[in-house]
Amino acid sequence: MDMPIISIITFIPLAGALLLIFINKDREDLLRTIALILTLVTFAISLSLYFNFNAQNPDPQFVEKGAWIGYGIDYHVGIDGISLLLVLLTTFLMPIALLSSWKYIGKMVKEYLLFMLILETGIIGVFVSLNLFLFYVFWEVTLVPMYFLIGIWGGKRRIYATIKFVLFTMFGSLLMLVAIFFLYSMYYKATGVYSFNIFDMYKLVLNPSIQVWLFLAFALAFAIKVPMFPFHTWLPDAHVQAPTAGSVILAAVLLKMGAYGFLRFAMPLFPDALTKFLPYLGVLALIGIIYGGLMALIQKDVKSLVAYSSVSHMGLIMLAVFALNVEGIQGGIYQMLNHGLSTGALFLCVGILYERAHTRLIKDFGGVSKQMPVFAAFFLICMLSSVGLPGLNGFVGEILCLFGIFKANTVLAILGVTTVILAAAYLLWMFQRVMHGPITNDKIHQFKDLNKREIIYLLPIIILMFWMGVYPQPFLRKMDASVEKLINQIDQKRTYFAEAKGEDKNLLDIEVIESTAEDHQEKEETAR
Amino acid sequence: MNSLNALFPLLTLVVGALLVLLLEVSIKRENKSYLAYTSIVFLLICSFFCVRSWGKDFAYFNNHLYLDNFALFISFVLIIATILVTLISMKYLSLQNSNIGEYYALLLLALSGMLIMVSSNDLIVIFLGLEVLSMSSYTLAGLKRDDQKSSEAALKYFLLGSFASAFLVYGLALLYGVSNSTNIVTIINFFRAESSMSLMGLAGLGLVIVGFGFKIAVVPFHMWTPDVYQGAPTPITAFFSIGPKAVGFTVLVRLLFPFWHTAFDSRVIFSLLWIISALTMITGNLIALRQTNIKRMLAYSSIAHAGYLMVAILSQDTSGLLFYFVVYLFMNIGAFSAVIALGKEDKEYLDLDDYAGIGFKYPWIGATFAIFLFSLAGFPPTGGFLAKFYVFSAAVREGLVSLVVIGVLASLVSVYYYLRVIVYMYMREPTHEVDIHLENPALFLVLFLCLYGVLQLGIFPGNVLVIIKQAVNTLAIF
Repeated sequence: MDMPIISIITFIPLAGALLLIFINKDREDLLRTIALILTLVTFAISLSLYFNFNAQNPDPQFVEKGAWIGYGIDYHVGIDGISLLLVLLTTFLMPIALLSSWKYIGKMVKEYLLFMLILETGIIGVFVSLNLFLFYVFWEVTLVPMYFLIGIWGGKRRIYATIKFVLFTMFGSLLMLVAIFFLYSMYYKATGVYSFNIFDMYKLVLNPSIQVWLFLAFALAFAIKVPMFPFHTWLPDAHVQAPTAGSVILAAVLLKMGAYGFLRFAMPLFPDALTKFLPYLGVLALIGIIYGGLMALIQKDVKSLVAYSSVSHMGLIMLAVFALNVEGIQGGIYQMLNHGLSTGALFLCVGILYERAHTRLIKDFGGVSKQMPVFAAFFLICMLSSVGLPGLNGFVGEILCLFGIFKANTVLAILGVTTVILAAAYLLWMFQRVMHGPITNDKIHQFKDLNKREIIYLLPIIILMFWMGVYPQPFLRKMDASVEKLINQIDQKRTYFAEAKGEDKNLLDIEVIESTAEDHQEKEETAR
Repeated sequence: MNSLNALFPLLTLVVGALLVLLLEVSIKRENKSYLAYTSIVFLLICSFFCVRSWGKDFAYFNNHLYLDNFALFISFVLIIATILVTLISMKYLSLQNSNIGEYYALLLLALSGMLIMVSSNDLIVIFLGLEVLSMSSYTLAGLKRDDQKSSEAALKYFLLGSFASAFLVYGLALLYGVSNSTNIVTIINFFRAESSMSLMGLAGLGLVIVGFGFKIAVVPFHMWTPDVYQGAPTPITAFFSIGPKAVGFTVLVRLLFPFWHTAFDSRVIFSLLWIISALTMITGNLIALRQTNIKRMLAYSSIAHAGYLMVAILSQDTSGLLFYFVVYLFMNIGAFSAVIALGKEDKEYLDLDDYAGIGFKYPWIGATFAIFLFSLAGFPPTGGFLAKFYVFSAAVREGLVSLVVIGVLASLVSVYYYLRVIVYMYMREPTHEVDIHLENPALFLVLFLCLYGVLQLGIFPGNVLVIIKQAVNTLAIF
């Protein structure tokens, strides 16, 4: 394949955004259609990534590399088994998000579409970057459109929410930036070459005492984004205030950037520090699971209920990832997709309710299913998918996650199971109060059932939920090789230092190891 | 190479300034834009001479005027700044009822003072240039004669500026006393030869740094900045925010970079500057949080940026410093141009409240202003991000990690107040009618150029980096 597919899917949305600038802002339907077509085209092209992806190869594929600024700053992108599905999730959800906001966004449509398209470029960029600098650029670029999306089209307390979102995220990422500088200078000192290349960084073996600080900086940035307890406070605000499409993208994709960051950067770069902090991180993830679930139980607003459910679900994902075994990490990634689909769909459903009722308080609803039977069916499936009903996608992911956690730590696993119980409790209870019972609010009598547009954008998600629940193989097998490689990588670096200590070698602050296992063995042999 | 060529850029500027003065009295016209065009022609000629001298190391006056690539690069940046400021002044002056011809002449003279400062190694010559710059600056600050704030600005600037000059001269005298020379190279060599701390020399150097500390507005020598920036005519504020600052830092580079390698005395000065840098970043950003006047806010932001530049001084990162200047030139003049764009006859909109809803009423001005603010806050992919990136990454390489952490946290604070302007522009409903004078092609040209600069430097800075490398390589570090 010679086509630079990754660059194409990354930059089509951006090019589209530039195109939209030159279209008269009063032709709203034309603008919407162009944006929709562009995101659909992006999705179609990204599918070719899936079909041409070689699942046996653990390394990044479709790699494109070109000199950019110099000093180690290259344009270097590629996709491996971990990022492939996340990219697909992004391109899949983008047209759905645009469709869902077709009517709801009535003011400043042009700007809205611009920001959505720029956001897509930013998110895809984060997932495909193989250069730390490039990654950071895209990481920050996603902030700007999200800032505007919440701030302009959000609810009453939107300004507070959006500033909080930006400041929280930047606090973490700026400290991460310092850590990136540090890595960069370490690599330069060790080799005399400037590099931000993530594969070069993987070769760097740092003294554990330095790793601790670097890991903390990286982990903080990603933990805020995930968000892990206690850095989650921006999330409910941002979610409740954001417009529906913003919430969908935020929950479904943006949060995954945090978990992805752990997998791609924080964990393989600093394995010793990871080992050291693993218990704490596990406990934090567990607190997130339980705390998020309990908070969701008492929410009066449907949207903040879904937001807290995100905190709980992301806690499970992180706990599974920290199990550091194949089941756990695969389950974590799979659950990221599931969470993207089911929480995204739940936000869409809440959006549909809000467009009709202009309220999201649970007490204002009741008996909606009588008025909207089709919607009730869709909502029910999305809700059950989030609960983790067998036959739907959530079940597969949760089971894998829990397998992984069990292998690593039984106590955490037993406590982690509460996520399923709590999810069943708050979601079913919410569903009962909103959809069933007598119609208490007169407005509900005027509710119209789903129109065609709404069915069109919900249906693909529902189909995918069933597919991923019944036959997950096509998704799971794509990530096998990469996940195994990741785990080996972490182990290999850990043992390297342990051995070095055992041999009483003089530990430098930095060393560069050759990446392949054979080289490592050779070194050992010569040492003997 | 000793050659009269070294004088050409300066001569052009002085001739241009005098010609503008003469034209203004001989042609009595209401519309003064022909003066602006004249001075732009001379600025272009001057920049032509600068480009022509690139790599030739012209020198004159017994090497007291020495055009190495480093000096030429800074000169070029300053000339561009002056051209941009001239362009944004044209309409502004007639709208604000202060259309006087001397304005352009004074700008040219101020520029010539700065060129003298950047292209000399002799502290007396540098002082000479400083005075030429200062005299013109004081006048320019007070140009709006019927505006009390402007007069206050001029007076404050004058008083504190003279105060700073006095410090500088006293420091110079002390340095001359210990080293028998006013030449930077000789002075540094004196420090190098010392086998123990030299108190008098250190005091002299400290006083010189204090003198320039006023010019570059670092804490605790920043007190004049907000008032002067607020009172001065807005294009002049833009000019102050880049010109004197770049010059002050250039002199510090020439003075301090060789000095860092001396054995004993450098540590005292180093830790002093470390504290100054940290204080500047923290104070500038924290006080900016409370400002509701946009010019005052930008004043404090420029103080904070001086703090970031100070980090580059401490980590001896000349190329990062130069890149920062270039980016800062575009983003700051761009931001001030956007502020100027929101004005009409006898009225400038400077209060944050005035900005409510601007983003949708005037989408182009709003969007460009937003991009400049994002750049000032250091968001990628703008130049502001890359500039901070270079400065901070070099500092980490030099082991100044804690200073960098302070720096990034301070810039996190700055995100809040820069974004607050954007919040007003895009997320608040306007409280009152704001209508602006839109027929201002020169200003829009500047906005466009600055936007282009900020994005080009943020995404494809390659060429500029190559030129900067050449400029730094010739910097004589003895």
